[in-house]
Amino acid sequence: MSSISCTNLALFTIAALLLQFIGLYLFVFSFFPVKPLLSGYSHSESFRRPTCDGVVNANPDEASLPPDRIRDLYQEVSEMPPTYDRLILMVIDGLPAEFVLGKKGQPPSKAYMEAMPYTQSLLANGTGVGYHAVAAAPTVTMPRLKAMVSGAIGGFLDVASNFNSQAYLDDNLLAQFFKIGWKMVMHGDDTWLKLFPGFFARHDGVSSFFVKDTVQVDRNVSRHLGDELSRDDWNFLILHYLGLDHVGHIGGRSSALMASKLSEMDEVVKMIHSNIAYDQGKTLLVVVSDHGMTESGNHGGSSYEETDSLALFIGPKNHASDHTLSYHDTIFQVDIAPTLALLFGVPIPKNNIGVLISQTVDSMTDEQSLRALQLNSWQLFRLLQAQLPDLSCRKFPCDAFITNSGPTISECKGSKEELFCCLYSNAATLHDTWRAEAVIKSNTTEGYNTIVAAYHEFLSRASEWLSHKATDRPVSLLAFGVAALITSCLILLKLLFVINKEVLTLEIQDVENYTKPWKLDEGFIFFGILILVISMGSSSMIEEEHYIWHFLTSTINLLFFRKALQSFELNKAVDDLISLGIKNYTSGCQISLLFLTLFSGRILKGWHQGGVNWTNLPDISTWLEQAGSQYINLIKIASCFMIIMLGIFVLFLLQSKTKVVTVIGFSLLMSSLLVLQHFMKHQDMAASYNKDATFSVQVFYAILGITTVTVVLVLPWIMPMKTREMCSKWNLYMSAAVPAEVHNMTPIFVLKDSLHVMGCVYITSWCLLQLLLQRPINAMPLLLLNVQILAYMLAFSSCGSHHKQWVEITALYNLGMAGHFALGNSNTLATIDVAGAFIGISSHSTFLSGVLMFIITYASPMLFFFSLVLYISIKVRICPLVTGGGNSGEILKSLLGFPCLVPLSINSILLSANTIVLVLMRNHLFIWSVFSPKYLYVCAATACVYIGVFIVVATVIYTYMVLFWLRKSLSITSKETVT
Amino acid sequence: MDHREKVSEVTPASKPSAVEAPPPISPSETLTVNLICGLSLALTFWISNSLYSIDLVTDPSLTLFLISIIELPIVILLFSRYRQNRLQCSYLRAVGRGILGVPVGALLNSLGAIALGAPVTFQCLPKTLAWSLMMSLFTTVPASCVLGSSWADWKRIFAHTKPNGSIEYLICLQAHGAVIGGWFGAWPMPLDWERPWQEWPISVSYGTLAGYLVASVASLGFVLAHRSRLQHVKNE
Repeated sequence: MSSISCTNLALFTIAALLLQFIGLYLFVFSFFPVKPLLSGYSHSESFRRPTCDGVVNANPDEASLPPDRIRDLYQEVSEMPPTYDRLILMVIDGLPAEFVLGKKGQPPSKAYMEAMPYTQSLLANGTGVGYHAVAAAPTVTMPRLKAMVSGAIGGFLDVASNFNSQAYLDDNLLAQFFKIGWKMVMHGDDTWLKLFPGFFARHDGVSSFFVKDTVQVDRNVSRHLGDELSRDDWNFLILHYLGLDHVGHIGGRSSALMASKLSEMDEVVKMIHSNIAYDQGKTLLVVVSDHGMTESGNHGGSSYEETDSLALFIGPKNHASDHTLSYHDTIFQVDIAPTLALLFGVPIPKNNIGVLISQTVDSMTDEQSLRALQLNSWQLFRLLQAQLPDLSCRKFPCDAFITNSGPTISECKGSKEELFCCLYSNAATLHDTWRAEAVIKSNTTEGYNTIVAAYHEFLSRASEWLSHKATDRPVSLLAFGVAALITSCLILLKLLFVINKEVLTLEIQDVENYTKPWKLDEGFIFFGILILVISMGSSSMIEEEHYIWHFLTSTINLLFFRKALQSFELNKAVDDLISLGIKNYTSGCQISLLFLTLFSGRILKGWHQGGVNWTNLPDISTWLEQAGSQYINLIKIASCFMIIMLGIFVLFLLQSKTKVVTVIGFSLLMSSLLVLQHFMKHQDMAASYNKDATFSVQVFYAILGITTVTVVLVLPWIMPMKTREMCSKWNLYMSAAVPAEVHNMTPIFVLKDSLHVMGCVYITSWCLLQLLLQRPINAMPLLLLNVQILAYMLAFSSCGSHHKQWVEITALYNLGMAGHFALGNSNTLATIDVAGAFIGISSHSTFLSGVLMFIITYASPMLFFFSLVLYISIKVRICPLVTGGGNSGEILKSLLGFPCLVPLSINSILLSANTIVLVLMRNHLFIWSVFSPKYLYVCAATACVYIGVFIVVATVIYTYMVLFWLRKSLSITSKETVT
Repeated sequence: MDHREKVSEVTPASKPSAVEAPPPISPSETLTVNLICGLSLALTFWISNSLYSIDLVTDPSLTLFLISIIELPIVILLFSRYRQNRLQCSYLRAVGRGILGVPVGALLNSLGAIALGAPVTFQCLPKTLAWSLMMSLFTTVPASCVLGSSWADWKRIFAHTKPNGSIEYLICLQAHGAVIGGWFGAWPMPLDWERPWQEWPISVSYGTLAGYLVASVASLGFVLAHRSRLQHVKNE
C-alpha cells in the first residue's frame, strides 16, 4: 500500500503549486509581448534614408540641443514646413464612429444626426473629414491612448495594467512634441497624467473610476475650455471627455442620456471650431474616440461595435469638396500617430505601424506629400529591418535604388523579405526618378499618382504584416513555462491518485460496494474534463463556454439522480419495513434535493443569455429589465430575505445548538438587515452616487468583515466549552464502554460543529456581500446558486450517498463554474462589471477597485470554495475510521486531501490545456480577441483557486490547532484540578 | 452514460414478487424486430420527403411527429409480443401499457431535455413535444410493453443497467443508445457555424436516431452472445 504522510503531501502540493506559478509567470511574460521592439526615441536621423545595415548614427549633440534648436533642425531636415502649429486633441471616450458617420455608407440614425448638428454640418461642407478608425483589441482606454500617440499596437497585458497605469516610456508623439518645446495642456481623464507625468504645463485630471457620474466628469473638463481657447500660450491641448463612456456603462448605447451627451459634445466642437476659425488656419482640431461600445455599453472585446472608433480631422481650411465622398472611409487607429507627426513636423515614433492618412496632406504640394509618404516609409522600413534581420543589403539589393538606368519596376513576389524589399525599392526608385525629372521638366500627375500608389502598396503591406506579426517570443522560456505547468499538473494528479488509492484500500474493507473499478459518474467526470479540454481548442466553444459547463453540470446531476434511484424501493413486500422506510426516506430526500438543484440550474441557465453568438435569444434578465425596475427591486429584496433564511436554517441544522450559534445567527440577521436597509434607501442604484450611500456601504463592509473574522478566530475557542456538556451526552449516547476513545474523539465532533458554523457564516456573508456588489438583476441567480450548493450539501450529507469524495467535489466545482457564467460573465473582457467596482469606495484607489472587481467576477467560484468548509464539516464523520492511530497528520490529510487537491488538479489541467492551446493557436485570427482574453480569465481563475484553497486550508488548520491545543491544555488543567 | 432517468410510473405497484422471466427472443427475431423498426424509420423519412416534401431540417416538428405516429403502432405491437408474465397479462393489456408509456415517457424525456438546456419558449414547445414523443418510443414504450409496471425491473434495467435476458438487452441497449446519441447530438448546437440543422431539436434528433440505429445493430450482437452463453451454460 503506497501511503503518503501528511507532511509529504503538503510539501509536494506546495512544490507543485510553486512550479505552476513559476511556469505561469514565465509563460505569460514571454508569450504576451510587453516590450516594444525598438527602444529610444526618433531623432533627426529619421529624416534620413535608412542605411543598409540599419545602424543608427545619431548625432550625439542633438540630445543636448535646446528645444527650439531641435525644432529648427527638424524643419530643416524634414524638407516640409509644418502645416499647422497648434493641435487640439479632443478624445470622446467610448464614442462609436457609427454615431457620427453612420454605418456601411448609411448616414447615422436621425436621433444622432439631430443631436450633433454642428459636427454634421462640418462633415457636410467638407471642413471636417471623418474616418472609422479601427481600434485593435483590447478596446480599453489606456492601450488605445497608447496606440493613438505611439502608432504601435501594445501588448495584450496592457489590459491587466489598465488599472495600474504607469508612465509611458516608449517613443510617442507627446514625447516628440515635448522635445521641440511644445507647451501642452490636458483636461480630462487622468490616465493621460499617469502616462505622461510632467509633460503638461496645466492639467485638470478627472478620474475614470466613478462610473456612475455622467455629468460632473465632463463639466470638469469644459469649465476650462473658454479660458484655454482665449489663451495662446499652448501648442497642444488635450481634452478627454469620459461622460459618454459612463453613459454607455450605465445605460448602454440606447440610453436616454446618450442624445443629450452627444449634443453636449457637439457644443464643445462648435465652441472650439468657432474659436480656431479666427486663428489664421494654423490650429487643427482632431476629434477621436478611443474605442466604441457594445449594445449594452461595455467594451474590451473586438466586435465591430467596440472597435469602431472615430477619427475626425477638423481644420479651419475648407478642404476640397470631394472629401464628402470619403465620408465613411475606414482607417486604423494607429494611423493617427504618423499623420499627426508628419503634419506637425516631428519624427514619427519609432514603433509606429500606422500609415499616413493621405487625404490630410492633400493641401500640401506634390513634393511635400511625397516627402511625407517617404518619411513614413523610411520609418516603417527601419521597423521592418528590426523585425527581419535578413532584410539587409547582402541578400537583396535593398538600397540599390540609386541606379542611373531609369525606373525599373519589378513584379514583387517571393519571401517576405524579398517582397518588402522589392516594394520599398520600387517606390523609392520611382520617387527618385520623379525628383530627378522634376528639375528638368514639369511633373505629370500621372507620375505622381504612380508613386503614391507604390508607396501605399509598401506602406499598407508593411503595416499589415507588422500588426499581424506578434513579436518574437523567447522559445526557450515558453517551452520551460509550458513544461513547468504540465509537470505541476502531473504531480497534482499523481498525488490525487495516491490519496484516492489509499482511501480505496481503506474503504474496500468495509463496503463491498466498491468492487466495480469504474463507475458511471467517475468515468463521466473524466470524460467531461476531456471534452472541456478539447473544446478549449475551438474559438466558438470558448465563446459559448457557458453551454458546456451547464451541460456537464446537469449531466452529472442526472447521474446522481440515477444513483439515488438505485436505492429507491417501491416494492413494499420486503420484510424489513422500518429500515426500508428510512432508506426510502433518505433517497427520496436526495431525489428531491437533486431535483431542486436541477431546477435552479435550469433557471440559472436561462437567466443570462451569455456568450457571443446567441445573445439575441430571449433570457430572463432582459425580460425583467423590460418589465421594469420595481420587479427587479422586489426580487432583490426577496432574494436577500431568502438567503438569510437559508443561512440561518443551515446554521440551526447543527446537532448541538448553543447560545453561540444563536448569537452568530443574530449577527448575520443584522448584517442582512443592513443590506435590506441600503436597498430600500437607495433603490435607484444608477442615480445614487452620493456620500450617504457610500457611507452605509462602508459600514456594511466593516460589520460583515468583523463578524466573519471574529467568528472564525473566536469560535474554536468558545465551542469546546459550550459543547462539553454535549460531549458527555455523546458519551452516554454512544457507548460508555470505551470512554477513552470517545474522549479522544470529542474534539473531532467539536471540529465538525465549528467548521459547520464557519462554513455557514462564510457562505451567507459572501452572498450578502455579493447582493450588495452585483448588479441588481443578479440577486436571484445568487439565491439560486446558494440553494444549489446547500442542496448538494444536504444530499451529500445523507447516508445514502455512495459517491466518492472527489466526485462530489468535482460536481461542486462544476456548479461553481456554471454559476460563474450564470451570473452574466463570459470569456470576453466586455462582461466585467466595471460599475460595481466602485461601490463603497470613497476615494480613488486602483487596488481596492481591482479587488472589488475580482470579487464580483469570481463570486460563484469563491462561493464554491467557501462551501468546501461546510463540505469538510459534513465529511468529518469518516474521521473516526482514520483516527485509529490518533495521528493529527492523518486526520488533517483525510480532512483536507480531496477538498484541496481536486480543485487544484482540475484547475491545473485546464490551465495547462489552455496554455498549450494558446501556443498552438498563436497565429490564429482570433488569438487576441478570443484566446487571449480566455487565458486572462483562466489566470484569474487560477488566482481564485489559490485564494480559495488557502482560505479553506487556513480555516481548517487553525480550527484544528486551536481545538487540539485547547484540548491538551484543558486536559492538563482539569487533571490538575482533579489531583 | 444515460442522463435522462426513467422514473417509471410512480403508481404503487401491486406486483407479485415472483416475476416470470420474459420469453427469450431468438437472434432471427431480434433481427426482424430491428429491421422492421429501422425500415419503418426509413419509410417515414421517405413519406415525409415525397408526400409533404419536408425533412428534419425544414420542418422538424412535423417530421418528428410523423416518425412518432408511424413508429408508435409498430413498436407497441412488436414489443407487446414479448411481454412478461404471459399468463396474467394478455396481449391487449400489454398494448394498453405501451400506450400508457407514451405520455409518461414523453414527459420524462422532455423534462430531461429541459434540464439539460432545451429552450422552454412557446415557439419551441411543439418541437420539444414532438421530439420527446419520438424519444418515448425509443425508451419507455418498449419497456412498458415488456415490463409493465414492475419497479424492480425498471430499476434494474435503467438505473443499474443490468439487463437480464435477450429482450431486456434489446430494450436497454436501444434506450441507452437513443439517449446517449441525443446527448452527443446536442454538442454542435452552440457553435457558430450558422447551419440550419443546429437548431433545437434537429441535431439532437439526428444524434438520437444515429444512437438508436447503432444500438440496434449492437443489440443483435449482444443477443447472439447472450444466446451462445446461455446454450453453453445449458450444455454444462
